Amino acid sequence: MYLDIRMSASRVVIIKTRHVLGSDDDLDRSKIVEMLSLGIRHLTGARDIGEGLARLFSRDDRIGIKVNTIGGPKISTRPLLPLSLSELLVKSGQPGRNIVIWDRTNRELREAGYSLADRRNDLKVFGTDMAGAGYETEIISHRNIGSLFSTIQTQFVTASVSLAILKDHGLAGVTAGMKNYFGAIHNPNKYHDSHCDPYIAELFESEPIKGKHRLSLLDALVVQYHRGPSFHTQWAEQSGALIFGLDPVATDAVGWRLIEEIRSKKGLPSLKEEGREPVYLSTAEKLGLGRAGNDSIEVIRDEI
Amino acid sequence: MKRRRFCETLAGTGLLLGTGAVGALGRVMAFEETANLSHAEARYYKKHPDREIECLLCPRLCKLGDKERGYCGVRQNDGGTYYTLVYGKACSANVDPIEKKPFFHFLPGTEAFSIAAAGCNVNCKFCQNWQISQVRPEQVPHFDLPPVEVAAAAQRNKCRSIAYTYTEPTVFFEYMYDSAVEARKKGLKNCVVTAGHIQPEPLLDLLEVVDAVKIDLKSFRQDFYKEYVRGELQPVLDSIRIVSQSKVWLEIVYLVIPTLNDDEKDIRSMCRWMAKEIGRDIPLHFTRFHPMYLVKNLPPTPISTLESLHDIAIGEGIHYVYVGNVPGHGAENTFCPRCGKVVIERFGMQVKAVAMNEGTCGFCQSPIPGIWA
Repeated sequence: MYLDIRMSASRVVIIKTRHVLGSDDDLDRSKIVEMLSLGIRHLTGARDIGEGLARLFSRDDRIGIKVNTIGGPKISTRPLLPLSLSELLVKSGQPGRNIVIWDRTNRELREAGYSLADRRNDLKVFGTDMAGAGYETEIISHRNIGSLFSTIQTQFVTASVSLAILKDHGLAGVTAGMKNYFGAIHNPNKYHDSHCDPYIAELFESEPIKGKHRLSLLDALVVQYHRGPSFHTQWAEQSGALIFGLDPVATDAVGWRLIEEIRSKKGLPSLKEEGREPVYLSTAEKLGLGRAGNDSIEVIRDEI
Repeated sequence: MKRRRFCETLAGTGLLLGTGAVGALGRVMAFEETANLSHAEARYYKKHPDREIECLLCPRLCKLGDKERGYCGVRQNDGGTYYTLVYGKACSANVDPIEKKPFFHFLPGTEAFSIAAAGCNVNCKFCQNWQISQVRPEQVPHFDLPPVEVAAAAQRNKCRSIAYTYTEPTVFFEYMYDSAVEARKKGLKNCVVTAGHIQPEPLLDLLEVVDAVKIDLKSFRQDFYKEYVRGELQPVLDSIRIVSQSKVWLEIVYLVIPTLNDDEKDIRSMCRWMAKEIGRDIPLHFTRFHPMYLVKNLPPTPISTLESLHDIAIGEGIHYVYVGNVPGHGAENTFCPRCGKVVIERFGMQVKAVAMNEGTCGFCQSPIPGIWA
């Protein structure tokens, strides 16, 4: 039996480390694994990582780890994160062949540092444009959303992890776990009006996403806190954090808060003051997708 | 015959051409791995600090960071320079009757070499060609057809004009513009089928190189534009006014969707606006809707509705009012507003008879506005 999101909906875990990034932005693999293990344990209340993952996924699940690689090597989900998570999943008993790390295109994955893999019996890494994948041919219509969904999400995946890069976004305010699913549809460019509201929330509410989402995990190791979503060195903060949550709204809300903290520290106006706070979080809360208010989110912090 | 000629064109050029507006698209897929997108610098944009740009092509005025694409999905900021990804990249090319666009007062009975590149800057929930307009260019098959080749193919196929159509030509502006220039060198005319959601500056530039524009006026209500078009009404009205004040021929099409934009008061208001702002001689086509894309829960437009709206427009003094997508309907014909006789008889997209003489009625010699030769 998986964790009931209603019981632990508002728990969000932040695991930080000071020394995860080495020269050339290389990550310390052992520290990443340790952070993931600690985060999953805090999130699920399990004694060890195997038990924690077992509370999230069944042995029959085909797990899709949706990463965000649109920004190139400096500002995409770092490959070591989904690879380490996959390694932990395999060690806990999940067949590697039932795990896919994916995004929109092979090109973006490669440019972000991923090595593609599509062997039948192993962990898979590829984009929706991989031969044999593609988009559904029928539009799925949900409220204001009308899109063709990636067949990876609709046909392969039974349990979904949004492993997004946390960053400032000129239109949405913040891009994090929920907006990451824009990469699961063929026409995300049609959903950037009105600060991406209500589109981010409504896309998440659609059956192929909401019905399969199990875990939000934000790569906040380096946070683009201003002028995102593009990478700008001068506004990138080495935060050294990973953020875990079962509640997709609360997880993103905590990510937003982190960005605001950094902006405040740097003397920048808040996103609200810039007229681009992530209003889609309130919409998501109204749709019953999770909790956005600070008072209803329990944040657990730990450090390695 | 057209199909055969079309295939001959294909054989002669080595191009892969579609078989209709949406070609052979039974399946929309991602083709990024093999995509051959263009990387030509776009026109009409402003550079901002920090590699950001602002698109000035359409009223959306998208502000984009590095690596981002506009709402249209076919124009991308790459390192602070804005590029069109569809220059010379046709996703559809066909020989069509000009009446298919529809143009009824522009070279009637001739054929137009009709091309499209992927993308659109609005998102009509009732889009009839969504498989190529509401996708990104790498998601549909496309082929190299540079402007010089467009003009050459049109001439080879004995077309009198080139039509930029099927998707939204505004978003492949550079491709359309350069093709139009090449077409003129060969003595061909150019016509544009558009939603009119474009900024005045590029529109005025475009009007220098084209001969006819058909604008789809989707409704006369802003709330409809917001809800069903994802665009704005006023820029479209502005575009209509700008074209009407130019030397370029203008026709207006209004797709009538049951219960959504068929209110008779709105139609009356629209006709009064037309009469006042652009004159009574601009043809107005009321065309029949068929369920498509995101609006599949409504029936095709009742013919009686089209006829009622037609009668309202005539009553408001619009001289040339047509009913479209109803083959054989009497209101497909062009009537002389003075003597009331049929000067162009049509059946569907075919012209059956013409009773005109150098732009005048063959019966009473009244001028019939349009481009006839």
